[in-house]
Amino acid sequence: MSAETILQVRGLSRRFGGLTAVNDVSFDLTRGEVLGLIGPNGAGKTTMFNLLVGIHRPSSGSIRLKGTETSGLKPNRIAKLGMTKTFQNVALFQESSVLDNVLTGALLHHPVAQARDAAHEMLRRVGLDHIAGKLAGDLSFPERARVEVARALCTRPDILLLDEVMAALNAVEMEEFLALVRDLRKDGLTIVVVEHHMQAIMTMCDRILVLNFGGLIAEGTPREVAHHPAVVEAYLGKAYTGDHGAH
Amino acid sequence: MTQGLQAIVDGILIGGVYAIVSSGLSLVFGIMGVVNFAHAEFLMVGMFVAYFAWAILGLDPLIGSLIALVVVFLAGAGLQRTLIRPILKAPPVAQIFLTVGLMFTLENGALLLFGADYRSVVTSYQTESLHLGGIIVSMPYLFAFLMSVISGGLLWAFMRYSRTGRAMRATAQDPMAAKLVGINTDRMHQIAFGLGVGLTAFGGAVILPYLTVYPTVGSQYVVLMFTVVVLGGLGSVAGAVVGGLAVGVIQALSALVFPMQLQNLVLFVVFIAVLALRPSGLLKGASA
Amino acid sequence: MSLSSSLGNAGTPSLRTLPCRPVLLIAAALGMAGLVPLGLDPQGYTLRVLTLTLLFAAMAQSWNIVGGLANQISLGHAGFFGIGAYTSTILLRDLGVSPWLGMIAGMGLAGLAAAILSVPTFRLKGHYFALVTLAFGEVMRVIANSWSSVTGGPVGISVPFAPNSLWMFQYNTVRPYYYVSLIALVLVSVVFWRIKTGALGYRLRAIKENPDAAEVIGIDTYRAKLMAGLVSAVLTAALGTVYAQFSYFFDPDTIFGVASISVRMALIAIVGGVSLTFGPIVGAFFIIPLEEISNAALAGRAAGLSAFVYGALLIAIILVKPQGLLALFGDLYKRLRKESSR
Repeated sequence: MSAETILQVRGLSRRFGGLTAVNDVSFDLTRGEVLGLIGPNGAGKTTMFNLLVGIHRPSSGSIRLKGTETSGLKPNRIAKLGMTKTFQNVALFQESSVLDNVLTGALLHHPVAQARDAAHEMLRRVGLDHIAGKLAGDLSFPERARVEVARALCTRPDILLLDEVMAALNAVEMEEFLALVRDLRKDGLTIVVVEHHMQAIMTMCDRILVLNFGGLIAEGTPREVAHHPAVVEAYLGKAYTGDHGAH
Repeated sequence: MTQGLQAIVDGILIGGVYAIVSSGLSLVFGIMGVVNFAHAEFLMVGMFVAYFAWAILGLDPLIGSLIALVVVFLAGAGLQRTLIRPILKAPPVAQIFLTVGLMFTLENGALLLFGADYRSVVTSYQTESLHLGGIIVSMPYLFAFLMSVISGGLLWAFMRYSRTGRAMRATAQDPMAAKLVGINTDRMHQIAFGLGVGLTAFGGAVILPYLTVYPTVGSQYVVLMFTVVVLGGLGSVAGAVVGGLAVGVIQALSALVFPMQLQNLVLFVVFIAVLALRPSGLLKGASA
Repeated sequence: MSLSSSLGNAGTPSLRTLPCRPVLLIAAALGMAGLVPLGLDPQGYTLRVLTLTLLFAAMAQSWNIVGGLANQISLGHAGFFGIGAYTSTILLRDLGVSPWLGMIAGMGLAGLAAAILSVPTFRLKGHYFALVTLAFGEVMRVIANSWSSVTGGPVGISVPFAPNSLWMFQYNTVRPYYYVSLIALVLVSVVFWRIKTGALGYRLRAIKENPDAAEVIGIDTYRAKLMAGLVSAVLTAALGTVYAQFSYFFDPDTIFGVASISVRMALIAIVGGVSLTFGPIVGAFFIIPLEEISNAALAGRAAGLSAFVYGALLIAIILVKPQGLLALFGDLYKRLRKESSR
């Protein structure tokens, strides 16, 4: 695999009043890799995602996406440059059909008619074409998460940030999802996942970053991270005994 | 110099009334989350109640204001139950148009009942004034201001020390938690709405000695009241006091510079600017 | 459906709620609308009311672009309407410019006003947006009232008399105005429908339902709202010119009125069914004749009755059927079918 750096994050911080949610984080992302972002609740994972896609502005630091500085840009600009995310609690357009949700994502590159074709194709790919006509608000949580992934994919991103899309998936759905991720990386997609499901993280990721109190405390392969003393103390020790799927 | 000082004094006297009139609007938003477009109409209702209390019973509007408060409080509590409660959780468009509808029915209901005539009261102190140095303090303005200060103080004490007042504040902060600790939030909403419109009606009554009442008088105050509460932060009663005084002074000072018709324009511009720059209010922005 | 989800939901195209093949139905309705004036007194009262109905349907339809599709509740569309009316009338009065050209000038000015207004409002939602637009309409009213040298001030302004001509957009019968209003309604409705079913419609629905998610999948929320706002303002201004030519005379308090224009536009759309293509049309055919009848019945004796009825109607609609009359008819139709099939 060629080691093209697609995303470069340097000294990224975000403060909310007195709270520092993300504190001086730096990392690189190589095209085509799957990176895991883990850490206890409140460690700053979702804030990190929101900074990357432009929902929050960084207090300081820089984000370079394919060589373009994106900090301070609005999310729609960053999406056009090729980075998008799914939302932790799933943010579908509830009153629209599954097809229309996915179609709206495809509008970034197509006029309506072609966007509809692209949306149908994407729904087939993720195995949701049988519910294309259903209202998004009527779906189960796992279905909604998959629709959101399909919608995000329709924007044809280079980097896709997935925020806990596997929560509440059953074993079969989990397997299907991991297969989809394998499939997507074959197409060269770079993926960052935030997930509480440790086993899934360990199987799917090439590399893992560990956040605690907004700061980066460890980085490495799944195996390295799992045995890192700081990680074990800050996170894994507790999380392994806790309930992973609660959120 | 004296002219400027005089304008500031006038502005504060009027601003005090604006404060009490608008704190009702802010109270309703703070506790129920409803922006009541009909709110200014209750000022008109209060003026009419005070007017008829004077015309029929011979009561001074300053006393009539208490009747206005009670009558409109009860009416408000009833309206809350029938109209406002069903839309509490509805999207803004439903809330906006329900209260806009209420605004029209009140205004035009008054027009149907009382006709378009302008009515005013006669009081002994109407034309009197105090002369302090070079400053003239008109008696009816002063009385209206004092009544506002007293009622504002009572409102503050009520919200702070009474059981009901504290329960109302708890409801505003966290309705779920309030329910859990046994507060009847529905009742709190009813009291808040009644009190909100009641205070505005009270404010309308105390200014009757120096103004005239007619069915569309409320529409003069819609943007004004919203400017006041937006200045201080929607939902903040204390903010409404600061906002009220500020608007009063802005109005009085702009009267020195601009012709009559353009005074409202200054207010609108302030209003749009505040909403655009700090929709959560000037005060809130400073503390958050 | 709960109240919270029912209002302002665009969802499926409204055509589906119609019982028959929609295209045929629309063609038939248009054919009928075209023939109606031939059977009526060209100067008559009925034709006048029908013309107003069509005009207000078109106005409500332009409001529907912002208030329905973009979910930005404007209470200040009278501002744009008045800009259109005053611009063409002043140009005609002072320079003899054809109202059609004046209409274009008014549309330009209204677009400019909408663009300027979008700067302070684009981040505002719900109540706040409504408040600022309300203030905008009032600002325009105050300006028109105080700038007497140009607008004629509170006494109002008259369209100078001219002989019948299409170029000067002036006729001494109602019939031509009826057709102009009908064409205007069709045009505005087509624009609305195109936006609704086009990319902008999808984008606006996305923004309405989840602005953050919309941005993240590449929708420029500011741009989309601005587009909707501009189109709506420009169309409203054009209708202002039509109104000015039709009514010959207007004053600031009417043309910039909160009740007479801004809320009426919104009310008609809401009564019919907000963000539905046929909502404003149904709404107008309900509201305007009702208003005329109630005014005529009481012959000015009861000033304020029509506005009172408005208010009561608004309250009733919001409380009983916030999705509007079209949805109500849909329910009745379904119920009838169920009963007849039993």
